[in-house]
Amino acid sequence: MKKVLIVDDSLSVARQLERIIVESGDFVCVGHAKNGAEAIKMNHSENPEIICMDMNMPGMDGLTALRTLSVMDKEVKVVMVTSLGGVGDKFTEALKLGAKNVISKPFETDDVLRILREL
Amino acid sequence: MMSCASCGNFDLTRGTDMAIKFFGQFLAEKNIVTRDALLRAIDLQDTKNLKLGEMAVSLGYITQADIERAHNAQMSKDMKLGDLLVEMGFLTLNHLNDVITRQKNTHLYIGEALVQIGALSGDKLQQYLLEFKADQAQFVSENIELPCSTANSKIWEMTADMTFKMITRVLHLPFRPGKSALATTICTNFMMAAMDLTGDVDARYLISVSDGLQKTIAKAVLREDSVDDETSNVLEDTVMEFVNVVCGNVAAKASQMGVIMNINPPVTIHPPAAGLPVPAGHTALCFPIHIGDGEKMELILMIKS
Repeated sequence: MKKVLIVDDSLSVARQLERIIVESGDFVCVGHAKNGAEAIKMNHSENPEIICMDMNMPGMDGLTALRTLSVMDKEVKVVMVTSLGGVGDKFTEALKLGAKNVISKPFETDDVLRILREL
Repeated sequence: MMSCASCGNFDLTRGTDMAIKFFGQFLAEKNIVTRDALLRAIDLQDTKNLKLGEMAVSLGYITQADIERAHNAQMSKDMKLGDLLVEMGFLTLNHLNDVITRQKNTHLYIGEALVQIGALSGDKLQQYLLEFKADQAQFVSENIELPCSTANSKIWEMTADMTFKMITRVLHLPFRPGKSALATTICTNFMMAAMDLTGDVDARYLISVSDGLQKTIAKAVLREDSVDDETSNVLEDTVMEFVNVVCGNVAAKASQMGVIMNINPPVTIHPPAAGLPVPAGHTALCFPIHIGDGEKMELILMIKS
């Protein structure tokens, strides 16, 4: 099973994503980081294959963390899960920084799993 | 907006997609085009779609040095480049209008760019455009009346409308919007979740909810039948997340309207019994949201004048 790290300051979103990921049977959740800085640390300690990361977080935001992760770890696949997915500039910036895809909030279970399985 | 003929409550059927998107994202989310193809199409757009200054230079109306002088002036003047070029005498108003028209007429859209790089056929583009328009039709703004005229009034009308749509789509709550009004004090309630909106706008978005409604929101956001065992932190977090989802989609819609809106992490507020005073220099637009069962919900837009 592929290891997934969830990065979101929202407890409720982390709970939703963890349930979707775990119940699929294809993935295991290795942790929950609440901002970009924690994500970088946990990427090092937990070595996930996939990171699901929010953009709008206190402290280090998702795009800043993505920029760092893209340089530090060429293997990890990052998918942004964000309410800002529909903002064209943010979407484009995320892809250019190395995100594999962008999922808009609110999200549907099937959309999340389809995108994660494609990675 | 659709309403129930018998009770007047809103009852929109949930669509397949629940968020504001732009076409490229729609295609990528559905795995219709690959990320690499999308990036190549975006690169093609970047080379073909000239910025205003670049277009004006290409038409011989101004020089690169004029643009640099205008950019420097922008550091001390909050004006768009085109308006500043006119004010500084580098560009006539007629030339500015010509540049804007040519930008619009020659704009390479992402779908066309994907066809040009061979990632989509023309026929498929038309098919997916129709599917995309049908998907996003649920977010077409309805008529919302503001109680007074204010800067960016179209944005605030859209914000209220998006809030109503998300109450239906995310919270699955039947409701009836009340008449909006100006306020000098925000009525108290069990809790509020707020988000600061910056960029081309300067405002605070607030949702106030009663105790029972907070639990209803938590059930919907967590997709649980019961939230009786949840901590107050989790319950409050769900209201903040609802605000985050609404404001993110408002920012997406605003960008389609040409307005840059940045969102910030949400916060919770526990208002005093006397309510929250509206700070000086701000206009507070209040939109009551009638839920029924004695529960109380209100949208407040606190806009800096």
